[in-house]
Amino acid sequence: MRIIAAFQKDKGISYTSHLDVQRTLQRAFRRAGLPLAYTNGFNPHPKLSFATALATGFSSDGEWIEAELERDMDPAEWMERVNAAMPNGMRFVTAFVADASIDTLSKMLCCARYTVSLYPEEPITRERVQKTLSVLMESEEIIVQKKTKSGVKPTNIRPEIIEAFVTDGTEDPVRIELLGSLTVTGGLRVETFLNALYGRLGVSGFASVHRNALYFTGSDRLPHLA
Amino acid sequence: MDSVTLEKLLMQVEKPARYIGHEWNMIEKTEYDYRFALCFPDVYEIGMSHMGSRILYHTINLLDGVYCERCYAPWTDMERALRAAGEPLFTMETKSPLKAFDIVGFSLLYEMCYTNILTMLDLSGIPFRACERGESDPILLAGGPCTVNPEPVADLFDVICIGDGEEMNNEVIETARRAKREGLTKRETLKRLASIEGVYIPAFYAVETDENGRFISIRSTEPETPARVKRRVLRDLEHAPYVGNQVVPNMSIVHDRVAVEVMRGCTRGCRFCQAGYIYRPVRERSEETLLRQAHELVACTGYDEVSLLSLSTGDYSQLRTLLPRIIDEMSGQRVSVSLPSLRIDSELRQELEKMQSIRKGGLTFAPEAGTQRLRDVINKNVTEEDLLRAVTDAFEAGWCGVKLYFMIGLPTETDEDIEGIADLARKVSRCYFSIPKEKRGAGFRLTVSASTFVPKPWTAFQWSGQCTLEEIRRKQQVLRNAMKGVRGAELHCHPSVLSVLEAVFSRGDRRLLNVLIDAYQNGCRFDSWAEHFKPEEWEKAFLKNGLTPDEYAYREREVGEPLPWSVVDALVTESYLAREWKRAGAAVTTRDCRQGCNGCFGEQCENYCGISKR
Repeated sequence: MRIIAAFQKDKGISYTSHLDVQRTLQRAFRRAGLPLAYTNGFNPHPKLSFATALATGFSSDGEWIEAELERDMDPAEWMERVNAAMPNGMRFVTAFVADASIDTLSKMLCCARYTVSLYPEEPITRERVQKTLSVLMESEEIIVQKKTKSGVKPTNIRPEIIEAFVTDGTEDPVRIELLGSLTVTGGLRVETFLNALYGRLGVSGFASVHRNALYFTGSDRLPHLA
Repeated sequence: MDSVTLEKLLMQVEKPARYIGHEWNMIEKTEYDYRFALCFPDVYEIGMSHMGSRILYHTINLLDGVYCERCYAPWTDMERALRAAGEPLFTMETKSPLKAFDIVGFSLLYEMCYTNILTMLDLSGIPFRACERGESDPILLAGGPCTVNPEPVADLFDVICIGDGEEMNNEVIETARRAKREGLTKRETLKRLASIEGVYIPAFYAVETDENGRFISIRSTEPETPARVKRRVLRDLEHAPYVGNQVVPNMSIVHDRVAVEVMRGCTRGCRFCQAGYIYRPVRERSEETLLRQAHELVACTGYDEVSLLSLSTGDYSQLRTLLPRIIDEMSGQRVSVSLPSLRIDSELRQELEKMQSIRKGGLTFAPEAGTQRLRDVINKNVTEEDLLRAVTDAFEAGWCGVKLYFMIGLPTETDEDIEGIADLARKVSRCYFSIPKEKRGAGFRLTVSASTFVPKPWTAFQWSGQCTLEEIRRKQQVLRNAMKGVRGAELHCHPSVLSVLEAVFSRGDRRLLNVLIDAYQNGCRFDSWAEHFKPEEWEKAFLKNGLTPDEYAYREREVGEPLPWSVVDALVTESYLAREWKRAGAAVTTRDCRQGCNGCFGEQCENYCGISKR
């Protein structure tokens, strides 16, 4: 049985790598007594795949996975049992049975929404961030130096940014809502965007990143942009 | 520590998962009146692999109202980040500073992690020396195998627990907790702790030295303290609590599996092996208990590998029935079984084949010395025939990776013994290639690993001088030359400078604390990690204190000479060790004590040796 499900990852456990999370989920399934189906072959591995990886340090409200289970069961029951075996700070929030008509998650993935909390090393007003961000968004090109296999290459990341604005609310920290493209072949890297923003602001600083949602195309059962 | 401060720190380090806690089975408590920080002076992935710490984490947290949290040595990037931010080191569970704890306890497994203790104290604002700490500072405690010679770090700690910790530690905690409730001073508290078997309170002993500062004697200065501190022995391993619901790390660690402790202690009596002497007598767990524990651990962790742990699992008396059962029962859950140390004989062949059907790995053998004569000296009763038969069986069963462990610099060693290592490797290699191609696995790998012998206290070789650095380097070259042309073999010689330092601290005295602190202040950290080891800074620290590593490492001690670790009664008697030392010199072996008592406990034989017979 193929199951598609989404889990949350809180800030406290967010500093684990994608590989760590894969292992954590596999172990959680084993603890729950809900083993995954395994591939055949010399070195069998469990049939579990992710829509995309989540960067180390990002928290998230919805990371999507698909898994092949050894036997059929009610998704609600599956979720309840798995959640009882998940480490503190990670939990599934939705799950459904998917037939073969639904394509692979990674192929359907199109974009992701983030909330970025800014912690600059010197204080910056909300207005200044707002202004800098709108100038940035109005430019046709945002050129950043991207590391590739063949060395550092100037790349325009503007087309990857769908939407970015300063959210209403607190002065400290200033928060930015960011919608970026994200597909199987690439997409916006939040760190790259942040470097560009801090660069224009002329300050250094760090940011705490939360992924609000992943969006897909081609299935009504998955989150999609209106 | 607030979450933003924490996140800023985590962003600056290479492996943040080392510091975040949040593991499955991590213990969370809200109601407690006594706090214990279980500290491990090495990084998370090593500390979390230590079974003793897992046991203590469980047993301490069994105490109602006591919360035991974990803390590991921060890697150098985290140390830098903490210093830059002016933040103290914090625990995994509640991110609290060590200063907030009633007891801060360190596991001492290896002398070369001593500088990391200082890092952890320094980052916590806790003064190093017990005499510099006040009533508001935590009680500092140490335990673990290094405490059989506690003297080099004695002045750091208020309490040192010698021997098996699972009962002793909780007695210490409960006694100290009562004392806190009664409002006793630290000194009054320590006096109460002094009467617990296995507990050493360094401040209650005076060391007498000669005009050169060399150790003469140590005696207790308080009526409550014993003249010698008897190593604590857990009498009933079968019913002792184990690791409970083992914590499952979020990142991969060194021993990333569950392990059941099949027995404690070893009966072989290898003369160089400290563990072989200080974990006596052998105590076994029953097959049924081990199977139950294996099932429980797999169920509560989700791990897919179980290891059968002990100093010499091949000697476990029920192995022949346990092994096929545990392999069968585990394979149904896709769980593999591994044996970290194995003495293989042909009757185990079938099990070897079964084990391989689940997961293929390398096999490790430790002949330790290259010739029969030298193996007799060290009482490693393995013959060349045993080894060649075992590797042939393994090769025929399809294994193709073999590791051979040796030591160089052993007492009485000659170049002939060194060349014997290469001979043995050559014979093992030939064993593989003499098997027809279609009957053996492809991709033969033979790893020969040569470490440097370090004389350890409470062994037959505790009097032995260590081979000098120059001599070790020469011997390593002899070995490299001799190993040329051994087909499929790869030689690893361990750096020997570190072994000299290890020899210094393992048989050191209280004078060494100044050296340790100076080395730390010179920047020494993680000394057992090659990329961090700074021998020249250590050298400066010795020089500054008017001491030389040579007098500790190279000097052969006279039998009967006062030894700094004599404050400990490790139960195996000095006269027994002296007899073994003498027999070693004559290359006379001593039988495995399962074949008959050799009297290592002397007059206390009935009391201790009897445990394993009951």
